[in-house]
Amino acid sequence: MAQVTVPVARPRSHRSRRARRHVSIWHLWWAFTGVLFFLLPVYSVVQFSLQGVAHGQNPFHWYLTVFDDPNFRSAFWLSVQISLETVAASLVLMVPTVFWVHLRLPGLRSVMDLVSVLPFVVPPIVLIVGLAPFLKVFSSWLFVRPEVLSLIYVVFALPFMYRALDAGLRAIDLRTLTEAAESLGSSLPRTLVQVILPNLRAAIIGGSLLTVAIAMGEYTVASLMGFNTFSVYTYDVGTSTAYEGVALTFISLLLVWGAMLGLYLLGRGGSTAAGVAITDKNSL
Amino acid sequence: MATIELRRLRRTFGSVVALDNLDLEVHSGEFVSLLGPSGCGKTTALRIVAGFEWPDSGEVLVEGQNVLDKPANKRNMGMVFQAYSLFPNMTAQQNVEFGLRVRRESRTARANRARELLELVGLGTAMSRYPRQLSGGQQQRVALARSLAIQPSVLLLDEPLSALDAKVRVQLRAEVRRVQLELGITTLYVTHDQEEALSISDRVAVMSQGRIEQLGTPAQIYSGPRTAFVANFVGTMNKLAGTVVSFEDRVVRCGPMLLSVPDPTFNHPVGQTVELFVRPEDISLELLSNGDEPPSGTFEGRVTSLTFLGPVTRVGLATDLGPLLADVSSAIALNLSADTVVAVKLDSSSLRTISG
Repeated sequence: MAQVTVPVARPRSHRSRRARRHVSIWHLWWAFTGVLFFLLPVYSVVQFSLQGVAHGQNPFHWYLTVFDDPNFRSAFWLSVQISLETVAASLVLMVPTVFWVHLRLPGLRSVMDLVSVLPFVVPPIVLIVGLAPFLKVFSSWLFVRPEVLSLIYVVFALPFMYRALDAGLRAIDLRTLTEAAESLGSSLPRTLVQVILPNLRAAIIGGSLLTVAIAMGEYTVASLMGFNTFSVYTYDVGTSTAYEGVALTFISLLLVWGAMLGLYLLGRGGSTAAGVAITDKNSL
Repeated sequence: MATIELRRLRRTFGSVVALDNLDLEVHSGEFVSLLGPSGCGKTTALRIVAGFEWPDSGEVLVEGQNVLDKPANKRNMGMVFQAYSLFPNMTAQQNVEFGLRVRRESRTARANRARELLELVGLGTAMSRYPRQLSGGQQQRVALARSLAIQPSVLLLDEPLSALDAKVRVQLRAEVRRVQLELGITTLYVTHDQEEALSISDRVAVMSQGRIEQLGTPAQIYSGPRTAFVANFVGTMNKLAGTVVSFEDRVVRCGPMLLSVPDPTFNHPVGQTVELFVRPEDISLELLSNGDEPPSGTFEGRVTSLTFLGPVTRVGLATDLGPLLADVSSAIALNLSADTVVAVKLDSSSLRTISG
């Protein structure tokens, strides 16, 4: 009778087990180092913000002081308002533009790439020095409105919003989807709103959060233009009361983490809606 | 159902002529395939009909009306694309309903129509699945259902099966044809796959360099190619060079053979050099014992290659008429090997000449 040789799995040697354990230890070591690297400063911030409290006072005294300060609330809401306006203006300006360039003027992509990095090249101080006389001459009313900050932040956020949308549009078959919608009778605006935008959700959320981060954290222009935004307020508090300033820094960190968590949850929502992908594209 | 007429369509891309005064008429309820190699202009023609490209000159008539002045979204044409084109954010049902939502159909009417069409393409149970949960074949079925939901005047299919593997392609093309026959919709189908075109079309237009080389039923295209391009592009063809020796009897000398050509279009004067075409399946082989002369009406050949194709084996032959390919039953081919000497017989009823 012919012998049949069946390849069998080798029993795991002690050496391979040792190697696996060795790798696991490295994983743990790096994870521990990473966590330490990120958490130690945060711990220090929290620790410091809880010091300097008089005996019998609430340990979160500096936090309560921050929240009780009407200037904090006004600065925070001003920044939130400016951020939302910046996001709205960026999306209204960039989404149709990037969509149109991708769909009808692909040759202009390289120009757009170049234009989108200009805010990196021109420092904010140069921008504001150049803009201030212009805004003063043409509209002194506009100069004192916080909305003008939003317009400036649209320029600052341009690289991030453009890159996010560009990557999002490259990830979908824009031409085919648009033509499919058109063949079904859809106009271009409807196609953009009902077909393209839902598929750019992650890109829009990513670009928007980066825009919010810029608008919430920008100091130079806001300070030069005399607006008491969140970042200006944080700086001012930090220079007068160290404990309160550090408490405020931790609050800012919490806001950033909250935003990142929001991004994660929104992005996850999109992927679970689509469910599990079928890998065999050729089955019937 | 509508008729489609393409009249003297011309389209250039720089110095490249994609369509060179193309004329084509598709009758109501007919299934016509544009067949040709890459770059022959077939997709350009389809995209012009759909409204995604514009010709430099010419007309596209649907039911006698020129539609070139209408944008794509006003032409009421269903289209299935080569790439997967389902909207990823919508379920199969929502995809099918999309065109009806654009037309402001009621929710109930939309749902009913979507169910009806998804059942028609065999996906009645997959209505709530997203495109990523569907296989490639299923996605193209949904795309077909979606294109039909708007009750289009014509259906345009741009190589809808080319992204699928061979087996699925064969199954799905039969379904496309079944649905087309069931609905009786006028259909223009673009493909580079000759088997696909020949198997599902009422008529096939073989295209080359922006022109239609030949338009006819699949049988006409296969058995009666009118140009050397069609003969070479559709199926496999043997080419024999010969000289006309009798005009009245349509006799051509090919090497040592005198071949009578049954082609009624034969119109070559005596002495003219012509090319004779014969398909591999119209050549039969007979084993010759050592030293035997080939029987009358046959000539000698030596086997140079054997390619197993399943039910038949393609035999490469070296003959006095030049190299030939013959298809023989694989069972018979078991008796053949390299350098086997055989008697080769051409089925004279299948011989054709092509001018030039």
